[in-house]
Amino acid sequence: MNWGWSEMLWVALISICLVFIVLLLLVFIMKFFGYVFTHRQAAAAAATVAPVVTGQLHEEEIAAIMTALKLFKTEMHDSESEVLTIQSIKRAYSPWNSKIPGLTQVPDKK
Amino acid sequence: MSTLLAASSDFVGESIQKFIESTGIVGFFEAMGWQSVVMICVAFFLLYLAIRHKFEPLLLFTIAFGMLLTNLPGANLYHTELFAGGHVHWDIFVNQAGLLDYLYLGVKLGLYPCLIFVGVGAMTDFGPLIANPKSFLLGAAAQIGIFITFLGAFALGFTPEQAGSIGIIGGADGPTAIYLTSKLAPELLGPIAVAAYSYMALVPVIQPPIMKLLTTKKERAIKMKTLRPVSKLERILFPIVIAVIISLLLPSAAPLIGCLMLGNLMKECGVVDRLSKTVQNELMNIVVIFLGLTVGATATAEAFLNGRTLGILVLGVLAFGIGTASGVLLAKVMNLFVKEDHKINPLIGAAGVSAVPMAARVAQTVGQKENPSNFLLMHAMGPNVAGVVGSAVAAGILLSFLG
Repeated sequence: MNWGWSEMLWVALISICLVFIVLLLLVFIMKFFGYVFTHRQAAAAAATVAPVVTGQLHEEEIAAIMTALKLFKTEMHDSESEVLTIQSIKRAYSPWNSKIPGLTQVPDKK
Repeated sequence: MSTLLAASSDFVGESIQKFIESTGIVGFFEAMGWQSVVMICVAFFLLYLAIRHKFEPLLLFTIAFGMLLTNLPGANLYHTELFAGGHVHWDIFVNQAGLLDYLYLGVKLGLYPCLIFVGVGAMTDFGPLIANPKSFLLGAAAQIGIFITFLGAFALGFTPEQAGSIGIIGGADGPTAIYLTSKLAPELLGPIAVAAYSYMALVPVIQPPIMKLLTTKKERAIKMKTLRPVSKLERILFPIVIAVIISLLLPSAAPLIGCLMLGNLMKECGVVDRLSKTVQNELMNIVVIFLGLTVGATATAEAFLNGRTLGILVLGVLAFGIGTASGVLLAKVMNLFVKEDHKINPLIGAAGVSAVPMAARVAQTVGQKENPSNFLLMHAMGPNVAGVVGSAVAAGILLSFLG
């Protein structure tokens, strides 16, 4: 084939268009996929939620709630301040740590 | 006795002369021997870039060493005449072929790029692309550089086949560039592979100025909506659907896309972990060694040291630049048609030029400079992997027109 400028320009133009068409087609396909799958997931999530029946509690449910409450209460502590600050250092007088009785008493020889 | 001595000295002299003539050193002093010296220096420079500066070392290192081996006079590891005219000359192959000629058959037959694509597929996470399919468009826009460079190369006097091979450098995808060039213009394989891998290593240098030039501060700081989670079933169906659709539309792109998606399915299905690990590591590494060595071997002095190589290097960087700019500009255009909370950060458009994951990292880095709390990496991975698909599609189209 004899390639001139017109052929080259056409090839370039058609190629760019083809790249866009192919990838645009993939965009639509993947969008469709996304739509189907997100709806499927939403439907599955809705199906797994158990129906709420008011005013009726089974024995197992009551037992589970009571166990949870018991565990919660036994694990509970008084809330304490976590800030520990040394306010002052004061040592009360005691003969045991007094300096004076600790010193060797020199006998007074008169 | 004296005649015996004279005969012996003649024999020794001839033997030494024969030995000296058989050494490669003499080759440097023959006509055009200086070209081999220049090519060996180029190989040393590429080795320096790969080892010292870690420029795409896995491939640049092996390419540089292949270039060194092929340009050593007398080594006879690679013979261009065995592949002259784009065909393998089997009649003289067995008698003349050197080690690299045998290994080069993998390139010539299009095996190595496809095997590398199996590994690339197994290492690629298509999740961001599945979550945001619009990224495909950014991947398509970044391929515009290929076709503009295709015209530019033709204007510089290259044949249409050579122009197509040079243009594909803009796809920033090494295996695709090598695959297409080995089919269309095998005589340019060396310069094109060196240009493609050098520019891929230089993505952090080439892209940021273009990205900053085409975007405002406000645009660069755009925070994108978090991507939706992608289910396992979607991840499994994606490679199957893409392989079937693209292969049906563009059979010439089937080897590349088919291998890419095969590797990805191995990873996502979760039942062939051994195969997935093998293609990601052992197979990939072995093929990289063979591919790099043989592609480097095609960079002989006759093929490399001419004005065409300079033209290829200039056109290659042009292709990269136009691809980057097209991606950014399309993202800006797309922003005109979307709601405020669905705005796209135009920086991720630049990641459409494949070069996985370097281009996505560049988008993240440039974006974080404007807004440190902005994490664009996952958003940029969408156009980035779309660019791999886009460049394979572009290669398939060029092959169907020019092949």
